[in-house]
Amino acid sequence: MISALIKRRLWLWKNRLIPSIFFYLLLPVFTFAIISLPLKNIIRFSLSETPYDIWVLPGLIFIIGSFSLYPLLYREYFELRIHRKVLINIALTPYSKKFFIFSSLVTSGLEALGMSIIGILVYISFTSISLTISSLLFLLLCMIIYLLLLGNLYITISLLIDALTTMFLISSMVFILILFGSGFLIEFSFFPIGLESFLKWIPISIPYQVYHKFNSTGLVDWGSLSILCILIYVWILFNSFILKRRLNQ
Amino acid sequence: MEASLTLKKVGKLIGDKTILAGLSFGIERGSLVAIVGLNDSGKSILLKLLSGYENPNYGQVFVQGLDMEKRRSETRKLIGYVSYENDLDPWLTIKQNIRFNANLYSVDNKLFTERLKKYSSALNLDSYLNEYAFRVSGGIQKKAMLIRGLIHDPDILVIDEPTGYMDAESIRQTWDLIKELKGKKSVIYVSNSLAEIEQAHDRILVFHEGRIIMDGHLDKLLESTLDYHQFQIEFDNLSDELYKTLKNIATIVSPNRMDNTFHFYGRTRTVFFDAIKAASDQMMIDLDVKKLGLRDLLDSEFAGRGLE
Repeated sequence: MISALIKRRLWLWKNRLIPSIFFYLLLPVFTFAIISLPLKNIIRFSLSETPYDIWVLPGLIFIIGSFSLYPLLYREYFELRIHRKVLINIALTPYSKKFFIFSSLVTSGLEALGMSIIGILVYISFTSISLTISSLLFLLLCMIIYLLLLGNLYITISLLIDALTTMFLISSMVFILILFGSGFLIEFSFFPIGLESFLKWIPISIPYQVYHKFNSTGLVDWGSLSILCILIYVWILFNSFILKRRLNQ
Repeated sequence: MEASLTLKKVGKLIGDKTILAGLSFGIERGSLVAIVGLNDSGKSILLKLLSGYENPNYGQVFVQGLDMEKRRSETRKLIGYVSYENDLDPWLTIKQNIRFNANLYSVDNKLFTERLKKYSSALNLDSYLNEYAFRVSGGIQKKAMLIRGLIHDPDILVIDEPTGYMDAESIRQTWDLIKELKGKKSVIYVSNSLAEIEQAHDRILVFHEGRIIMDGHLDKLLESTLDYHQFQIEFDNLSDELYKTLKNIATIVSPNRMDNTFHFYGRTRTVFFDAIKAASDQMMIDLDVKKLGLRDLLDSEFAGRGLE
């Protein structure tokens, strides 16, 4: 099933090749120009005294991944579902809902990861910022876990909501959370204490904290990563349950 | 004959409304079965249950002896489903849509190419294969969905309105293909086109308020329930007195009038001559006799009364 979904994504890419390439190259440049350039004039250094444009780079990569992932899962689980397309047909194939959710998470996660790698290449080409191999590999590992978590969140929202206006409102709130409440652009210590401890424990903000911990101390927080992996599995089960209910199965 | 699909006391509720009420029937392997009924009578829900898209609230559906709920992955390979609405991916071409299904069912490349060639030439779809699904007409989309439903070579094909949105030529091609499939595959379909059902069925299931009220070949249904002819005589002037005289002929059933036209039913054609004899001194403009068809059968049943 995963290969069927990947091939379908490749066909969709091929069918809209020029706009796809254009947007996929534009997104990292746009993110960098609109977010990083002005913010570094406001926040010159992180709390650990790292220049902001260096500190924020992994956050921008996470943001690019988040924005790349959204349309893929929105299309699959909201747009096509409310227009009664494709999803019914997939639901009739001999695969469990759990496997379908997992497969679409893997497929869309791979594409978003690819986008993030394009983002890394663009930043490395246009700025003097560099990443060590170990830092890059760990960044990608944390990205994978983050994308699986965020993908589950996107799927839950897309399956639970039927109205387009509600979908936009909820999506906007999720985007605001990603941009400003996940620690990608603004460190948690800038928030009031109560809000800081709340935001730190939101699952989608944990992979980035684990990455930063690794970057600053060289220690890998396997405990948190393992808990997140369990959460991803449970969330897949939950989403497959919602999907079943939505399809009256 | 061996059963391809069997329903045992299957019921479906939506909210507290009963859509299907304890249905039990079997469908023989290789047969062509039409399901007819009023709008909202539960026909499409029944198709969704047969295709495995929806589960019943109670009862069991067996596909070639396998319980559909317990042996889901095995039974799903045996079924192809074509929904009423277009559910193709709009941003994929027709060929890609079909290929996607083939990939989901792990159909190898050679078989895919063979089947696509066979079905697309039968339905005259070759020239549309590389068009985006959203750019082609509803009829072409329906044909593509039919091929998509067949691409994994299922034993059972479940179709909601096989010729929906199609032009006359496409309707002919589609029925030619379905009739060719009959015997090799069980085909179960819902249609509102009674003329098409009359031409293409081994068996008709007449569905009403979640129950099957008639089941059999049209000839059998008409024989057992009606076997009537419908007659119509248009007079130059159908007076009340003449209408009363005609109405009182003992062999005439269910008489009624519309302006100067007298309608009635009778078991044999001789009834017609009884009426002609009684009105022989009147000026007649037009005469019409027809054997009752599926529409008349349904009209009489759904009106809640037989002709008697």
